[in-house]
Amino acid sequence: MADSKAAAAVTLRTRKFMTNRLLSRKQFVLEVIHPGRANVSKAELKERLAKLYEVKESNCIFVFKFRTHFGGGKSTGFGLIYDNLEAAKKFEPKYRLIRNGLATKVEKSRKQMKERKNRAKKIRGVKKVRSNHKMLKMHMSKLILV
Amino acid sequence: MAAAFATAEANDERKEEILVRDDAPKLLAALKEMKDGLDLVRSKVEAITRKVRENQLPTANGIGYLEAKNHLLLGYCQDIVYYLLRKAKGLSVDGHPVVRSLVEIRLFLEKIRPIDKKAEYQIQKLTSAADVASAREKGGNAKDKGKGEHSDEEDLLKYRPNPDMMDTKSAPDGQDNDGVYRPPKFMPTIMDDEDKRRKQDSRRDKAIARMATENPYIKEIIDDAADRPEEWKETVGDESREFVKYMRQREEQEKQEEELFTRAPVTKRDKQMEKRIRRQLNGLGGLTDGFDLGMNMLFDGDKEDDGGSSKSRGKSGSRKKHMKSSKKRKRH
Repeated sequence: MADSKAAAAVTLRTRKFMTNRLLSRKQFVLEVIHPGRANVSKAELKERLAKLYEVKESNCIFVFKFRTHFGGGKSTGFGLIYDNLEAAKKFEPKYRLIRNGLATKVEKSRKQMKERKNRAKKIRGVKKVRSNHKMLKMHMSKLILV
Repeated sequence: MAAAFATAEANDERKEEILVRDDAPKLLAALKEMKDGLDLVRSKVEAITRKVRENQLPTANGIGYLEAKNHLLLGYCQDIVYYLLRKAKGLSVDGHPVVRSLVEIRLFLEKIRPIDKKAEYQIQKLTSAADVASAREKGGNAKDKGKGEHSDEEDLLKYRPNPDMMDTKSAPDGQDNDGVYRPPKFMPTIMDDEDKRRKQDSRRDKAIARMATENPYIKEIIDDAADRPEEWKETVGDESREFVKYMRQREEQEKQEEELFTRAPVTKRDKQMEKRIRRQLNGLGGLTDGFDLGMNMLFDGDKEDDGGSSKSRGKSGSRKKHMKSSKKRKRH
């Protein structure tokens, strides 16, 4: 199998490079030139960036908001490289941490959430605490039935 | 011959007599007026010269402006007198320098009239102050010296602009009490917005410049007039106006997004437009844009696949039918 990477050389270019000391990170606009390919995966981009900027942990690199230009061959997106993992966990939004594997998604049943909200709508004010007891009672009754 | 001459002379004399007889009453009236005027002037001049001789009208330490005006008026009077003298003696006034001088001085006086008006208030104040001072000088010095100094200071202060003398055209208390200042309306004013006008002018110039280069018809005319070779621009596919505009918009957006480090959300409309343009580029969609009429007629309305447009038309058509039928039902 031919090495797909060799068939079309992928070129990375960073623009508007800025060191953001307040958030202890480096942020830049990432331009990827990939003639012949649809687009480049984020994992591959993170590898390349780690090599380019000599980052010890590739977990601290975040790339997002990639858009392929008209006609293909070139895509542009944004990239961030944090100084350390703690800073990343503090400043990055949840969904990006999940994408990098630094956090797990909490599966909230939408149905349960909506039921809870609708129950809370019927009561006004601080008595919402009592509604919890109501829920417990309901659950307890279900268990007894079973 | 002699008789003819005599009759001619007699005729001329009679004509003169006729002229003199007609103008005589007018002449008499004019002469009488002149005599009255001259008598008045003489009395006035005599009074003034008497006063000047007695040094009652000194102009040494007066207002320079008024002194100059005085001189001008004197010169004017002299010129008029000389002019009348020449006329009365029957000498011609044509081309004499006195006429020119009269006209010049008259012009000066006309020109300084507005200055006069503006300085009226100040001059009034100063002259009244001078009168007061001279009156005080005449009656008792020793006692009034102290008072005089004090009053001098007061007088000096009186020369400041006096806001109480300003006439207000609207009563300040007669306005609305909602705390908003409403200016009194007594004259129509044009709000001259300098910036707006400049912006509009620049915009118009830019529009004209753009039309000169982009509008194909005008460009053709200008190129023709300037003897330039014809320019052939592609207007299909990649260079179609729609595509160029789209690309320009996209580039602008990209630049802004990079600047702000964010992305604008992609709406459904954007996606549809992009899909349409991609289809146009990839196929030969742009070629038949102008041939709608011809191709339709040739191929019995068998048009190319228009993608979503026919579908949408179908939807609207069915919706209309549905509405129509429902209306019919309602009537029954």
